[in-house]
Amino acid sequence: MPQYILSRLVLLFVMALLATLVIFLLANMVPGDPVLAQLGDLAASNKEFVAEWRAKWGLDLPLWQRYLIFLQQLSHGDLGISIASQRPVLQDVRDFAPATLELASVSFALSLIVGIPLGIMAAVRRDSWIDHLARLISLIGVSSPTFWLAFILLAVFYGGLQIAPGPGRIDSIGLPPPSVTGLYLLDSALAGDWATFRDAAAHLVLPSIVLAAATLGLITRTTRASMLECMQQDYVRVARAKGLRSRRIVIGHILPNALIPIVTLGGLAYANLLTGAVLTETIFSWPGLGRYTFRSAVSLDFPAIMGITLIVAVVYLIINLVIDVSYALLDPRVVR
Amino acid sequence: MADRLGWIDRRRLLQLLGVTGGALAANLPSRVFAQARKNTLVLGIDISDTITLDPARLAQYTSPMTVSAAYDSLVTMKPGDYINLSPSLATKWARTPDGKGWRFTLREGVKFSTGNPMTVEDVKWSFDRIINLGDQPSQYIANVDRVEIVDKSTIDIILKQPAEPLLTIIAAPEFVVLERKVAEANGASAAKDAKTADKAAQWINTNSCGTGAYRIAAWERNQQIQLVRNEHYWGGKPPFERIVIRHISDGAAQLLAVRRGDIDAAFNLIPEQIASLKGDANVRLAPLASLDFVYMALTQEPEFNKALAVKEARQAIGYAIDYDGIIKSMLGGAALRPAHFLPIGVSGSTEEIARQIGFKQDLARAKDLLAKAGFKDGFEFEISYGNAAVQGVTYQDLGLKIQSDLARVGIKVNLRPLDQVNLRTEYTTGKSKGGVLTFWNPPAVENQLWAAAVVQRVAKRVHWTTPEDIVKLVSQAATEADPKKQAELWVEWQKQAVDQANHFVLFQPVYQIAVRNTVKDFPLTAAGWMLDLHDVTPSAS
Repeated sequence: MPQYILSRLVLLFVMALLATLVIFLLANMVPGDPVLAQLGDLAASNKEFVAEWRAKWGLDLPLWQRYLIFLQQLSHGDLGISIASQRPVLQDVRDFAPATLELASVSFALSLIVGIPLGIMAAVRRDSWIDHLARLISLIGVSSPTFWLAFILLAVFYGGLQIAPGPGRIDSIGLPPPSVTGLYLLDSALAGDWATFRDAAAHLVLPSIVLAAATLGLITRTTRASMLECMQQDYVRVARAKGLRSRRIVIGHILPNALIPIVTLGGLAYANLLTGAVLTETIFSWPGLGRYTFRSAVSLDFPAIMGITLIVAVVYLIINLVIDVSYALLDPRVVR
Repeated sequence: MADRLGWIDRRRLLQLLGVTGGALAANLPSRVFAQARKNTLVLGIDISDTITLDPARLAQYTSPMTVSAAYDSLVTMKPGDYINLSPSLATKWARTPDGKGWRFTLREGVKFSTGNPMTVEDVKWSFDRIINLGDQPSQYIANVDRVEIVDKSTIDIILKQPAEPLLTIIAAPEFVVLERKVAEANGASAAKDAKTADKAAQWINTNSCGTGAYRIAAWERNQQIQLVRNEHYWGGKPPFERIVIRHISDGAAQLLAVRRGDIDAAFNLIPEQIASLKGDANVRLAPLASLDFVYMALTQEPEFNKALAVKEARQAIGYAIDYDGIIKSMLGGAALRPAHFLPIGVSGSTEEIARQIGFKQDLARAKDLLAKAGFKDGFEFEISYGNAAVQGVTYQDLGLKIQSDLARVGIKVNLRPLDQVNLRTEYTTGKSKGGVLTFWNPPAVENQLWAAAVVQRVAKRVHWTTPEDIVKLVSQAATEADPKKQAELWVEWQKQAVDQANHFVLFQPVYQIAVRNTVKDFPLTAAGWMLDLHDVTPSAS
């Protein structure tokens, strides 16, 4: 097992580097000049000023040299300075990642907690009203566009019924908890500030529902399909013949086998939630990585784009690794 | 089989599904903040462009509002008057005896938010820092040679070209006074090597050391900026204990928030959202006149387009565009249109003058001009634009409108959407092969900044070799001391620029800000910092 993990880690490192190389080349094929995009009109027309700024980010150097510099900085744990925010990319990421991590994790938990039981019941009581309800929920979740769902929920629960808080992570005049992890729920709990905890939790409800919607649908459907497949297996028939209670058959025999594809799906879905929250973050004014990534991309902010690509690649690869390892644990045949 | 496996009953299922709803209900936003809210002003605005709150590094659109609340400049402009200056930290100003610069008399008894008195040294140091940091604001005062202390309440700013304008430029929030002692203690430097020696950016972004009505207490990127009352403010006790500039990127979310009273003002509403507010007794609309404008630049490089190289053909475009239609039907009337690059409200530019000397739709004349240019049956050119919107109107929609207008005189427009970075790169490097739809707001309210842009850098972008005369006219107008004569010169300049027909100003937005009636005075300004935050007051009730 350790050897298995080690070989995967080496592969992870190589893959991450390859990802940065691909993104570096792609980003450089776009003809725009990120410096001109950042400067005011007067400064953008001042050749010396532009040259000075270009030199500041090494944009005047040949492509290969720039990539080598990137690698060299990387070896010191430095992702460079963002052109747009003019701060170290790592610092930007540190500022924006917690908001996304918190939102994505809550959404992920939500889609598992609701999706798996719903999928199980839909399978167990196939063609009953629960199955239809589950189908409806997943259909709505998968097919409603994020921006639409986000806005409808805001308009109904915040604007109309006034039972949910508005956009943002906390109330407009509330102060964030003292920063330890950057995750407001955790930080406020650590500080024992329960008013802020409740406020932050309430602010998470709508965006996490929006973000979870699609994943929830997917998990429900996959769980159902996988359960149904397992229910046809001989060992289920044997278990039933032995006179086991239905509940034990479902939990002890069907579920563990049915969950294997969910592990893969869940892992990838989590990675997706972490990186794909741009629209949700925009509508809910969520100060997360999604917005930052989007802005970096549209302003051709090379250092930020490279840094984020690397981080996203690593996140995906780590999650894949976790999936593979848990596969190995769930199904001993994999390692053999 | 389904029945036999029924290990969960209906009630438990509903409980499970109810978790989400329960969470929603259990966390009703508490009203514990109600009391705090009374003394707090909350503004809802998209501040994602804010990358620094350091006055000497300022270059963005929304950050000047915050900076102008925390710091003061020597002179300022009152909302509605963008020609005459008002005193701020300086009470009097006049030319220096030798005529080479300006002499300022500082206000007495001004204190920083620390309680320490403001001195001439602070003023000089602040200007030195801008110049030596060499960031974008230094470009606007490139004409400043040096700052000299005369005595403890008098300071001179000596210019390289004494006749060139200064006062209107230094009224902008880039040119404010910082408390030297505090700034230096936090890493700031005004020395010659400030470019590398100044390490204050981080501190200055989340704190402030000015004389303004409020003090910056926190800035969480893409979340909010917090300002607290400056107890030592020279202009009397500021009315709010706290101001929160809340980042809400989406207009629809701003609308919901201002309706509910979670924010006191919403800055980024589009016309449809504004229309939906009519009839809401708690919210009023305040017009924010601006000195920004959206324009189309047109190349005259024959290699790019033979027709566009002919002046009459470009003028035909000018007479074919339905400007009133753009303003009335696309912007709901909430816009002005100057004749050329001098927005309505500055010297030499009024709506009346614009009507007299600017382009207006006249299809017959456009056709005549086309015939004169030798393109009786029209011609073809491309219009490039970015994926953005101003005042809720996308460049795409503007392009479509112009396309259909020009089709009426036989000119065929090919629309060419681009991402903003490419558009800007193409445009600023003079590679645009037709028209470009874009936007401009100058860093300060000084006619010269607009006019010089046209004859210098923008001229290069459209491949216009500007005649000596018009370049001379700009400096003549900018340095004219008599206001009446100056206005006349600016009118003359606009006439010549209009005739050249390579820039068409499409509209000058009048943004509609939704303000709740919890706020009494809300002095919006076109001068570049949007709102005089120090003069915002709460309603009596």
